[in-house]
Amino acid sequence: MSIGDLLFLFIVGVTLAGALAAVLAGSIVYALMGLVVTMFGVAGLYVYLHSPFLAMVQILIYVGAITVLIAFAIMLIGPQYRRPKEWTTLGKLGAAAGVAVVTLGLFVKFVMEVFPRTKAPAFTVTTKQIGALFFKDLVLPFELISLLIVVAILGAIMLALFARGDK
Amino acid sequence: MEQLISIIGAQAFTMIAGLIGVIAFVVVNALALTWAERKVAGHMQRRIGPKEVGPYGLIQPIADAIKLLGKEILTPGAVDKPLYVIAPILIFVPVLVSFIVIPFDARLVVSDIGVGILVILAFSSLTVLSILLAGWGSNNKYALMGAVRSIAQNIAYEIPLLLALLPVIMIAGSFSLTAIVEAQKGLWFVVYQPVAFIIYFIAAVAETNRTPFDLPEAESELVAGYHTEYSGMRFALFFLAEYTNMFIVSAIAVTFFLGGYQGPILPGVVWFLLKAYLVVFVIMWLKWTYPRVRFDQLLNISWKVLIPLAFINLLITGGILKL
Repeated sequence: MSIGDLLFLFIVGVTLAGALAAVLAGSIVYALMGLVVTMFGVAGLYVYLHSPFLAMVQILIYVGAITVLIAFAIMLIGPQYRRPKEWTTLGKLGAAAGVAVVTLGLFVKFVMEVFPRTKAPAFTVTTKQIGALFFKDLVLPFELISLLIVVAILGAIMLALFARGDK
Repeated sequence: MEQLISIIGAQAFTMIAGLIGVIAFVVVNALALTWAERKVAGHMQRRIGPKEVGPYGLIQPIADAIKLLGKEILTPGAVDKPLYVIAPILIFVPVLVSFIVIPFDARLVVSDIGVGILVILAFSSLTVLSILLAGWGSNNKYALMGAVRSIAQNIAYEIPLLLALLPVIMIAGSFSLTAIVEAQKGLWFVVYQPVAFIIYFIAAVAETNRTPFDLPEAESELVAGYHTEYSGMRFALFFLAEYTNMFIVSAIAVTFFLGGYQGPILPGVVWFLLKAYLVVFVIMWLKWTYPRVRFDQLLNISWKVLIPLAFINLLITGGILKL
């Protein structure tokens, strides 16, 4: 095993450990920390795949913006909240495990079908190429995503207003 | 020496040497800045500042550091221990990472990564996170209030900060800090982008939680904010990180707007440090001149003034570049 392989295994291990912590932690703040570790792990995978831009954007957006927003939401609802013990019953655990196994199977099948095993050399994408793609070939899906986010924000505002009782 | 290089490889050697240099610089910089801050504060208030220990009180920060090192590491009983312990360590990660990409001179940079500025901005988000951990882990109402304020403030000011840096990146056509400095051979970007510079500067002062934007640690209402429960070396880590962050935002201002290491006669690194410490001095000057803003004022400045202004500036820059 080369140093590169060891590094890869280490990054994968960190990512998985973070993900497990995010799911299993009883306290919501610890779950958030697990999520942060996972995000860093994923960013590490991007660096490993020669995509430093994607890695940094991953940290910038997911750790810098999304997690901080989640933290802010936690502060609003009260971080003292802990998951009650009686929520985790054996049946629920079984159901969760079942869903996990089926999803994993589907995912593996999808990866096998879509990405055939070839020994393609690692390629590097420059930031310029990514930008050009977004504003030329992929401009329609890109704009559609922003529209989707606007709709989601409007929906959240409407829900908040109705919950308060204003019409 | 050469044997060592041949064993671990030249690249790894530069990296390790660079990291040792960075750590040494962080400590010396923080010691110098605490001394400078107390001197500046003193003279602005018609006092002398520290003068007893060493000539002009120069050894004072070292005496303070030894005092802090000698203190017992105290952990209050009610804290959430893992979070409480990890927060001061975590706040140091972005500090160290940022120094790796800052070009002190044309060749004096630990690693010139192509996406340099993104590395700094991405990792600086960890600062907020560790403040949150410190506030929540301390299990103290003042600490928690300080953390909540810090998060609101950082969300508000990260946006104008990024938007003010973007026009410069557009003009230079690169994320690499060295390339941005090289693009300022003729004229500094502060001439092309005065509005962006002012927006960046205000946002940077807010990001480093300094007066007039120091609400997260407003001592008259929140004791010491998020680090109320910390003492000894753990407190010193927060303190070190704050002063180093002050230097980092100044270094970015110099790199992006003030021509970086470029200047006549003197070597580049001297110019870089001169400019950076001048910006640091202006930040200190602000601290001892202006009172603290109110919280609603703080958020309104960002959302209603800085962000629209930064967007307009970005649009105009983009339009002119396309012409």
